Amino acid sequence: MQEIAIRTEKLTRRFGALTAVDEMDLQVVAGQFFGFLGPNGAGKSTTIKMLTGLLAPTSGRMELLGVDFAAHPVEVKRQIGVVPEGMGLFERLTGMEYLRFVGRMYGLDRGTTEKRAQELLEFMQLADREKTLVADYSHGMQKKLALAAAVIHGPRILFLDEPFEGVDALAAGALKALLGRMTERGVTIFLTTHVLEIVERLCSHVAIIHKGKLVAQGSLGELRAGVPGSQGEEGQKTLEQIFLSIVGQSGGEQAKFEELTWLT
Amino acid sequence: MADVAQMPGVWQQLKLIGGLRWRILRNGLRRKNNRWDLIGMIWAVFFGGVLVLGLCFAFYAGTCEFLAKNRPQWMALLFWGLFVWWQIFPIFVVGLGANFEFKTLLRFPLSLRAFYLLGLGYGLADFAALSSIAWIISMLAGAVTARASVVPVLLLASALFVLLNVTMERLIGSWLEKILAKRRTRELFFGLFILSMVSLNFISPIMHRYGSSAKPRFVEIIGYLWWTPGSLAGNTVAGAVHGDSRGFLLGLAGLLVWIGITSGLLWRRFRAQYFGEELGESGAPAAVRKRELQRESSSELPRFISPQVAAVVVKEFRYLTRNGFAFITFLLPPIMVIFFSMQFAGKNSVLREHGLSTEMFFPALMAYLILILLSPAYNSFAFEGKGIQTYFMTPVRFRDVLLGKNLMLAALVILELSISVGVMIWRVGWPSPAMFVSTVAAVAFAVVGQLTIANWSSLMFPKKMEIGKMKGQRNSGVAVWTAFGAQITIGGICGVILFAGKWTGNPWLPAIAFAGLTAAAAGGYTAALGAMDRLAEKKRELLIETLCR
Repeated sequence: MQEIAIRTEKLTRRFGALTAVDEMDLQVVAGQFFGFLGPNGAGKSTTIKMLTGLLAPTSGRMELLGVDFAAHPVEVKRQIGVVPEGMGLFERLTGMEYLRFVGRMYGLDRGTTEKRAQELLEFMQLADREKTLVADYSHGMQKKLALAAAVIHGPRILFLDEPFEGVDALAAGALKALLGRMTERGVTIFLTTHVLEIVERLCSHVAIIHKGKLVAQGSLGELRAGVPGSQGEEGQKTLEQIFLSIVGQSGGEQAKFEELTWLT
Repeated sequence: MADVAQMPGVWQQLKLIGGLRWRILRNGLRRKNNRWDLIGMIWAVFFGGVLVLGLCFAFYAGTCEFLAKNRPQWMALLFWGLFVWWQIFPIFVVGLGANFEFKTLLRFPLSLRAFYLLGLGYGLADFAALSSIAWIISMLAGAVTARASVVPVLLLASALFVLLNVTMERLIGSWLEKILAKRRTRELFFGLFILSMVSLNFISPIMHRYGSSAKPRFVEIIGYLWWTPGSLAGNTVAGAVHGDSRGFLLGLAGLLVWIGITSGLLWRRFRAQYFGEELGESGAPAAVRKRELQRESSSELPRFISPQVAAVVVKEFRYLTRNGFAFITFLLPPIMVIFFSMQFAGKNSVLREHGLSTEMFFPALMAYLILILLSPAYNSFAFEGKGIQTYFMTPVRFRDVLLGKNLMLAALVILELSISVGVMIWRVGWPSPAMFVSTVAAVAFAVVGQLTIANWSSLMFPKKMEIGKMKGQRNSGVAVWTAFGAQITIGGICGVILFAGKWTGNPWLPAIAFAGLTAAAAGGYTAALGAMDRLAEKKRELLIETLCR
């Protein structure tokens, strides 16, 4: 029987009158590279924040690796790594100091923290900036550091919110390879990004959220089978076509272009 | 080719910017916090208005007096006052300026001339400029009353003086902006600023000691300042009144030279900005030579502290050493001990034999130092920024975070007080053993007692602050009142107990009472940590939203 890494039941989050996430029932099997997609304002970040303990749900239930998040938050957090939306870095620490700090916060002993921090800085090509304050890092470097911090304790589930944004092609390639190897070892990766090509290339399973509701979930093949319409160049529907078809905007842009004749 | 048929004129551009500023203000009022800030601003404008109006009478009366008694050369004094106010005040309130970077307008097709004029326009709209112009109008009114024939020349000198001041103020502002764009220089600048503010306290004792001997030299120096804007404006008026055309023309020419130089320099600065001057941190820092990473030695903290608490202590230490402002705050206590001892206690003080006794000075000094040192604890997450998320993402209980922060602060307080006591003993002498022990016990009670309230305040009323910045760097108003209330209450309890020792004739009674109170406060602190854990969970969204903004 497959182990369930993430399970939500009627997960809901309201901000006043706005329901950002509406009774979401999500299920992610352990070891999947899971893409979580949706248009702007659909509720992706709110979902990821709830799943990582940065935001309390209004109602509903979350289980990570079979452990109830609300009842045992500390136990759950031991098992997960997160690259949140704002990266959550302490800007007045150097890259090395930040990794040491995070390693110790996860309860790693000093020797292990030191060894892993060095290896991660080398891998992320940040070793020559070990004494530079995080505040002085470029956006891409900060992203790489946030990724390093998210994996330093060897998490079993990794939540990544736009992890490749601002990261150079060289590092992005190495990172994708690393993430692929992690899933081979059974780590579950929960990824949100607006770059559908990345999801198409990396993810085995995808869920699409629209206006707070989960509108599709399954493997890429299952999603392709469930969507009618034309096929891409390679003879099968692209994720972009699937996405546009599901969120109901395919053709909407065409109509809008006609109104912008002075521009087109 | 873009569809811009015709560039808007300078006046139209100015009108557009004025409209933009108005809409920013109006839309800003949609947020509750901004509405509160507006109320605060209205109060500030009211009190500022009272100050300006009061001084309007002073400038009016001064002008009447000088012109009626045929002493127009004394008008230089008024111009000097205006000049110092106009140039110095904006530097003091650099942190309170409008939250609008007019340079962001450069993405629109503004001409360099419009950009320059906008810059000057902004200079005329700040408080120093508006108040100075109000005082100049009062001077003109005074001239109308006392000697109407002076009005045209005063008007001419004032117009040039206004143009010179606004140009110079913008020039200094743009230089400061350039200097402060670099984090290191910003921190250094604010450090020097704070130290210079503190050093003002020493003026009175120095004047007391050396004032009479320095006075003739000071008067002598004033004579050499004829070339300064205030003196030139005064000389222009005086020359016209006395029919001294040479003096009048020299004054006028001097002002024009000043305007020419400052305008040229300001044009250069604005031109650099217009053509895309980059003021931020260097875009690509020079590569650091790769070397073997070393094991961190400072994280070797005692074993009885959990790794999480130890990590927070180390992180807090790192933040302290990189926060110039906080660092200076912790340099202040020994300096203040020297200052207070010069003023109020010891044989070398200004008050001499009428000064405070060591028995009074020691507890009073400790109370003051606790007031300064514990203030940051009431908003202890102020500098976390987006890092606050780390505390919620990692498997750590918030009680450990608070404990780590409190341990760091307590260690610092102990260090600071030890140094300050050493300085006090050097300057004033030892208090009696009973008073020494009682005060130390009172300090322990005050620190432990306040930390519990401060932790609660930090979670309930967080307010983001940024290292090396002065703009908007203030605690939440409620946190300030909480700190004030807690310190008054605890200070009051300590005062009553210390006096009880005197009244009962048992000098050791306060020490015993404080030992008991400290034990009770420590128990309360430990018990409250669990509640803080739950409170942090409840306030998680507030903390993240406020500090990550």
